[in-house]
Amino acid sequence: MSAIPLGAFIAVSAVLFFIGVAGVLVRRNAVVILMCVELMLNATNLALVAFSRRAGIADERGSVFVVFIFVVAAAEVAVGLAIVLASYRNRPTVDVDELHSMKG
Amino acid sequence: MSYGFVESVVFALLTIGIIGAAAGIVLLNRITGAALLMAFTFLCMAGMFVLLGAETIAAFQVLIYVGAITVLILYGVMFTPQRDRAYGLFFQKQTPLAALFVAPIAIFVALYATTFRDAPTAGAKGSDLVPLATSVFRDYAFPFEVASVLLLAAMIGAIVLVKRDEDE
Amino acid sequence: MAPGPFGLDPALWAILRLLIAILLAVGLVFNGALAQIYLERKIQAIIQDRVGPIHTGPWGLLQTLADAIKLLGKEDIRAKLTDHWFFLAAPAIVFSPMVASYVVIPFAPGVVGADLNIGLLYLTTLGSMTVLGIVIAGWASNNKYSLIGGLRSAGQLISYEVPQILSLVTVVLVVGSLSMTKIVDSQQGLVINALVIPLAFVTYFIAGLAETNRVPFDLPEAESELVAGFLTEYSGMRWGLFFVAEYGEVTSVCSIITALWFGGWHGPLVDVHPLLGPALGVLWFTLKTYFFVLVFMWVRATLPRFRIDQLMSLCWKLLIPLTLTNLLLTAALLLLFPQTIVPVAIANWVLLIGFAAAVPYFQRRRLVGLRARLAAQGSPLAAGQRPS
Repeated sequence: MSAIPLGAFIAVSAVLFFIGVAGVLVRRNAVVILMCVELMLNATNLALVAFSRRAGIADERGSVFVVFIFVVAAAEVAVGLAIVLASYRNRPTVDVDELHSMKG
Repeated sequence: MSYGFVESVVFALLTIGIIGAAAGIVLLNRITGAALLMAFTFLCMAGMFVLLGAETIAAFQVLIYVGAITVLILYGVMFTPQRDRAYGLFFQKQTPLAALFVAPIAIFVALYATTFRDAPTAGAKGSDLVPLATSVFRDYAFPFEVASVLLLAAMIGAIVLVKRDEDE
Repeated sequence: MAPGPFGLDPALWAILRLLIAILLAVGLVFNGALAQIYLERKIQAIIQDRVGPIHTGPWGLLQTLADAIKLLGKEDIRAKLTDHWFFLAAPAIVFSPMVASYVVIPFAPGVVGADLNIGLLYLTTLGSMTVLGIVIAGWASNNKYSLIGGLRSAGQLISYEVPQILSLVTVVLVVGSLSMTKIVDSQQGLVINALVIPLAFVTYFIAGLAETNRVPFDLPEAESELVAGFLTEYSGMRWGLFFVAEYGEVTSVCSIITALWFGGWHGPLVDVHPLLGPALGVLWFTLKTYFFVLVFMWVRATLPRFRIDQLMSLCWKLLIPLTLTNLLLTAALLLLFPQTIVPVAIANWVLLIGFAAAVPYFQRRRLVGLRARLAAQGSPLAAGQRPS
């Protein structure tokens, strides 16, 4: 029914994923790093949904994993932000380069 | 003008939205703007899911990502200082490393992805709601319960982490 | 894909249909807001023994129109230190999901924008987007009252989403579908859902009041403590958009109540004629919806505002356990007795009566305890009289 090949969706997903990776590597603000992790999770969602459409599977196996990724993403961002806020309370910075007190 | 043409146009717009907004998140120095762009990326992604015929996933996407996660991130933005590093974003030691690792793999994967030429088939007629529900509550009932335990653990963990001690 | 009328290309017709639907929804929202503002002012006036607007037009009917024109003509003021993009985006983020939610509301058989299979999920999804707009509005204004209003609103809306969704899920369990038209169609005759699962209706109604920021839950914009909450820095038509969005949300919540619990378009004489029937259906639907809009206004004129901690404890300590119990009971009873919904109805009515009886009882006990504590401290408030 669709005019768009599956590969197009996968390519978008790949590009989005690597933008997320680049963001995690380049940005130093902990909140922005969390955002970029969310982008990567989202890219994975797109790939999973697209592939679950590929074989015409009737039982939505791929989409089920997307539901679980939603759960993991929500848990991850809640705990991640809690950690960021807790560390911000101890040291007044959210710059991950300056959080090196555990370094030997 | 055919239905397929409209679909392609929508796909192109959504792609531009997703990639552009995601690049904006990485490049923008203003964190508030990045948060807004993130919400936009998530909305465009929901559009992609609709295009793939997964409306239920799209609805959950908006409900969880836009309604909950973006709001949480905004809280994070509000409670922490706004300024990012004073010096330029791209003149730090991790940038070459990032470019080295990310660019070749991204290009390779994106090129490889375009070799999947078969069109995605729509799921069951109408909507993916019933098959999805059947899968979640029948085949994957146990993982579903485990996921709920994970959420509970995350909630308690977040509360414990952020709660101040009484004597503070 | 069905071909369009007049031999139009189906793809072209799809786009045209979308445009028409958007225009209709926006028109509906704005006109509904005009009518509701007039109604609200008149009803408040009647309840408070005043006359309300009378000067502009017959019975003051044109007053809200005049106000709207005034709003449109106002200067667009933006404070200097506001966060530019956030400030501009916030009204749009609040307004557009509300308009989009009109797509799935079933006005009559056949008179519905799109009969989505996931209609109810779609509505909750759009409702959750409002939070984002309000938080952004509060943050962008760069004003502590706005920020507190926005943050309070986020807490309130996210909290009340839980009982709201749990109440909706109860209905979905009983009906077995998320599609709005199917839910309406399942309530033929007098067996409306309000008689089967009244507790879900009551909890949804309370949560709906909170979700639309109406009195007694209008804490985000509590004038006496927060100036106007997240609306403080907004003026002109940007403020107007928030205002219209609030009325639009009230209408959409009332439409959901009508469709889910009160039989939607069903009413006398709906099935008589293929053309007259839908028109009558729209009429019944509108009448039922506006009845609940009137109840919202009545509540506004009657109840005092909650305090923020009372608001949160009402949600987390009372509504969520209650709706969870209701959902579990309903699911278990539906599994045990798949043939009949009578046990579900009985359980629901028992829970509702227990809820209605227990709340005043515990309130009274708390009040007695409070008075006893005050009396022990020798306070003049102890006897219950006001301080002179």
